[in-house]
Amino acid sequence: MSVFEDVRKIIIEIKDLPEESITLESRFEEDLEADSLDVVEMLMSLEELYDIQIPEEATEGMKTVREVVEYISALLGQDA
Amino acid sequence: MLIKTALCDLLNIKYPLLQGAMAWIAGGRLAAAVSQAGGLGIIGAGSADCIWIKQEIDLLRQLTDKPFAVNLMLGSPHIHEVVDLVIREKVPVVTSGGGNPGPYIERLKQAEIKIIPVVASVALAKRLSRLGADALIAEGTESGGHVAEMTTMCLVPMVVDAVAIPVIAAGGIADGRGFMAALALGAQGVQIGTRFICAEECNVHPVYQEKVIKALDRDTVVCGTSTGHPVRAIHNKFTRAYLQSEKAGMSKEDLEEMGRGRYPAAAVHGDLVSGSILAGQICGLVNKVQPAADIIADIFKDAEQVLQRLEEQRCQD
Repeated sequence: MSVFEDVRKIIIEIKDLPEESITLESRFEEDLEADSLDVVEMLMSLEELYDIQIPEEATEGMKTVREVVEYISALLGQDA
Repeated sequence: MLIKTALCDLLNIKYPLLQGAMAWIAGGRLAAAVSQAGGLGIIGAGSADCIWIKQEIDLLRQLTDKPFAVNLMLGSPHIHEVVDLVIREKVPVVTSGGGNPGPYIERLKQAEIKIIPVVASVALAKRLSRLGADALIAEGTESGGHVAEMTTMCLVPMVVDAVAIPVIAAGGIADGRGFMAALALGAQGVQIGTRFICAEECNVHPVYQEKVIKALDRDTVVCGTSTGHPVRAIHNKFTRAYLQSEKAGMSKEDLEEMGRGRYPAAAVHGDLVSGSILAGQICGLVNKVQPAADIIADIFKDAEQVLQRLEEQRCQD
């Protein structure tokens, strides 16, 4: 499964949204109605899934699905 | 009798009780009175600038040499300067609200300041615990001012189970019964805000205190859910107009503009009609203005009676 697919699956679990509503361009707050607590929950789930730690300074700029996917892909040394 | 928990040792306080950090009104005088009486007094920095906060820290230090805290409101336009100030002033404890204090934790810890963030979810609790928070305040939606969705009854035991650091329960606690209930849920202490609005030392307008005293069980409402920043206040003409605008689909920007300056209008200037009277649901239990020391003494006297009552109810067969 690609990083995007993992991120999308976790967002679906947290927000109960239809799969097609989540794209790389989706903005957490505006498009997915995900508040800051939802974003923290997603990051914690991703950390657990990939056994990684995402530092606070990296999380501040994460406003879209693409930003999260690209950050994790870079960390794992994969293509987004 | 004295109920001691791990929080007392962690913060070097007699009673495991924190006074809620209410912006504008929880200044040095209230925080000093609470700390002097054995709790942890907290100066609510809110959006105030460093001049005001420094003045309140100085005032507190003239009145007591006991430990105290400053609450950082993470959305404050002055947040970076306020973090610098608390480090410079060697404030013993910092609490934080209105977001994720993760980016500041390392600097505060380097300065040997204890950091106690407010959390409203298990995931944030776990994250901040991992980042080095010394304790957490799990605050339920019963509280006044900015609120989230989880109730204290549900949030506290879940956070307690998720982290290994002390958890302080907040939201809906005003007396010894609430204190003992929090301990039963696994908390190591409580944070109480609304009852301290009615402390003699609180810098709030007297008519605001009267309003809190008169308020009954169903008198608070939550405004601003559609903006993503919901706030609990005692209902009045302003909350009615705001909720109507929200229902009519007013934009987030216009709603935020509508709410701007309403809380100090009520808390500082006593405007109970078009101001926002922030208070928790427990306001229905607050019935008099008294010195902070008496509030704390009452709470722990009540707690002792609760403990006795529970002991009497214990069945031997």
